[in-house]
Amino acid sequence: MKKTHTDTAATNGRGLDRRTFIELTGALLGSTVLGGVPHAAHALDKALPNTIDGAVKGGTLDALIHPEPPTLASFINTSTPGRAVFSKIFDGLLDYGPDLAPRPQLAESWETSKDGLVWTLHLRKNVFWHDGTPFTSADVKFSADVIWKKYAPTARRVLRHLASAEAPDEHTIVLTLTQSTPVLINALDAVAAPVLPKHLYEGTDVPNNPHNNAPIGTGPFVFKEWVRGSHIALERFDKYWQPGRPFLNKLTWKIITDVAGRANALETGVVQYGERNPVTFADADRFKTSDKLIVSTEGYNGFSGTLWLIPNWRDPILSNFKVRAAILHAIDRQLLTKTVWGGYAVPATGPVSSLLKPFYEPATPQYAFDKKKAEALLDEAGFPKKADGWRFKLTHDFIPFGDDYRRTGEFVRQALRAVGIDVELRSLDLATWTKNVFTDYNFQLVSSWGINWQDPQLGIEQHFWSKAESKGTPWFNASGYASQEVDALFEDAQGQTDADKRIADYKQVQKIVQRDLARLDLFEFRWFGVWDKRLRNVTDTFDHSQNNFAHVWWDQTA
Amino acid sequence: MKRLLHPPLILGTIVLAGVVVMALLAQRLFPGDPMDMVAVPFTWPGQDETVPLGSDLMGRDLLAGIFHGARVSLLVGASAATIALTIGVTIGAISGFYGGAADAALGRITEFFQTIPAFLLAVILVAIMRPSIGTIILALGISSWTGVARLVRAEFLTLREREFVRASEALGASDLHLITREILPNALTPILASTGILVAQAILSEAGLSFLGLGDPNLISWGSMIGIGRDALRTGWYMSAIPGAAIMLTVVALNFLSDGLHAVLSPRTSLRNA
Repeated sequence: MKKTHTDTAATNGRGLDRRTFIELTGALLGSTVLGGVPHAAHALDKALPNTIDGAVKGGTLDALIHPEPPTLASFINTSTPGRAVFSKIFDGLLDYGPDLAPRPQLAESWETSKDGLVWTLHLRKNVFWHDGTPFTSADVKFSADVIWKKYAPTARRVLRHLASAEAPDEHTIVLTLTQSTPVLINALDAVAAPVLPKHLYEGTDVPNNPHNNAPIGTGPFVFKEWVRGSHIALERFDKYWQPGRPFLNKLTWKIITDVAGRANALETGVVQYGERNPVTFADADRFKTSDKLIVSTEGYNGFSGTLWLIPNWRDPILSNFKVRAAILHAIDRQLLTKTVWGGYAVPATGPVSSLLKPFYEPATPQYAFDKKKAEALLDEAGFPKKADGWRFKLTHDFIPFGDDYRRTGEFVRQALRAVGIDVELRSLDLATWTKNVFTDYNFQLVSSWGINWQDPQLGIEQHFWSKAESKGTPWFNASGYASQEVDALFEDAQGQTDADKRIADYKQVQKIVQRDLARLDLFEFRWFGVWDKRLRNVTDTFDHSQNNFAHVWWDQTA
Repeated sequence: MKRLLHPPLILGTIVLAGVVVMALLAQRLFPGDPMDMVAVPFTWPGQDETVPLGSDLMGRDLLAGIFHGARVSLLVGASAATIALTIGVTIGAISGFYGGAADAALGRITEFFQTIPAFLLAVILVAIMRPSIGTIILALGISSWTGVARLVRAEFLTLREREFVRASEALGASDLHLITREILPNALTPILASTGILVAQAILSEAGLSFLGLGDPNLISWGSMIGIGRDALRTGWYMSAIPGAAIMLTVVALNFLSDGLHAVLSPRTSLRNA
């Protein structure tokens, strides 16, 4: 019976019909094996275990995408929604698991020379582009020579020392570097080092290539159409390299801009999947009590991030360590994560999120919530309370990324006013804020956030390495912090071929920047996704926004 | 005197007086910062007597917010209306009094502003200048004067030709005297009646701006309270409903007041009533 159901879904392909059918199947099951269907009354905040045991082919998935991606050319613009779609259409050389360990994708195996200068990747055979052209090492060579060197933001940084990419045969690619680049093993995913079809991109104006928004990839799903403001439709690729994959027949991204609309769509089953905080925290808590939906924070170990305050080290008040320490002591971060972030965040211990396990250092200096200590530190720093009750004026420009960030700003304002800092909260538009912070360095205290990615060199280095200071480049060291010690550690890690020593470098960095309070890390995000409990395998990835969905299937028995 | 017993006028006055009293007592009754988190978030009204109207999703006292928000709403309403009146009366008076080229030029300016949706203009102005109470008042004033200007111009056009104005002119009165002493006092009734609507509009627009996140982040206002409550609409609707009711009552009261003033002061209705 199950088989019939999936076939029906495949032929008519209409979400509504499929849903009616599922309900019908459920009803039949319920009546025949009474009590045999587990109806969990308890909260569903854990997904069913990731497995392909008993996986069945078929079915369609309607998923939420928000906001609408600006482009599908993720090799130029790496926006998170763009990444979510791109990763289904394009496979990368490597993929990464929840443990952040590399997994073969287009590259079956790889080896590195002892000095770390020569990387040989053995490519998978019988891989095809969606237009039927075979995928070969020529595509990778073209991507390395053109896309990685000129366009892809991560590859451009990581592969600064790439001397040449050679293709000795159809299924081997040899990358030769002028300096060892150990981070490369963590930066060969579909977006960081994208592989594009040479036959469609060679000799063209890459940023304006018509295939950018009608992509031809090697991934499990084929691009069908993108109706702006409505949906992006993908279909199963029949010649995908992995036999029997993907399980799903169709994957449609629905663009719903309103947060309440997204909640309704999930609740009514119009869509069955949404990730990276698709609904408000209050709605997430409500969905947790439903027996149809799963609300889970799994699948983000490689997309972990923290929210922090950047103190301007050029400012006479904030350059004082005691003031920075007092600010951190004054903020009850436990309460902040509970009230403003609905519990979908935990206080940070430093710049690296505890989810990035291989690199995380817990033993860093901590500045717990302690108002008295904050006041004492401010007194010591030479800022006693004046007659009007205030110590000094301070402007706080919160990052204009939405209500949660604004409320975080309000929380910080209240916390600092409570210890006598007269904070003026300023709400700037994103363009002005970005220019003030990263071009003019014209700020006192701002909030900002970022992602760690799979390696600190990708997500941490640019915020602390003094040589990364680059006027006008957003999200690069803006605080003015410069430490020779930290610089030396970063530079050693860039070429360190001994993996353990490299990790030790980064752990030491965390201790120093937290000792110096180079920036004030407030909390780690816990992104959550909401999906139909029958959907299996969605979190078997390092980055939930970047799972290629080849192994995702509908479990009608759940 | 009997005319003042117009029921909407009385009702409007009472409610508005209540709001003014709330604004005046806010600092005394709730001396703390209304943005402070003082209670458990999501406390429903009546659940905890220290916060009778409950708390929002950040644990802020809704009652304190309503009282302090009244100050912001009234301040914005009164100030924005004053700006709109000043611009509108000046332009309308000059247009109606001098006519001709001055009227044509000012008429085009007025039309220009009329073709831009007032709220969108306010959104753009506030977004360009940083959101703060001052810029919000300025933006709302600049975007809402055209109605007054049209009204005043029409009044001036008719009054300009009346005998008492002609007589005064024959006596050698200056233009300024004619405008401010002869015509304006006689045009005051419709202006006064429209002032209430202007204030109500400004309060609504401020709420709209705050709801969109363009309010002054350092001040609590009814609109920003609704904006915060929106996130929890399904689980804690009272967070939006309570400040929403405050806005509704105030705006209805202002409309009643304006209607009542019109009914009471207008010569035509007063003749009928007498």
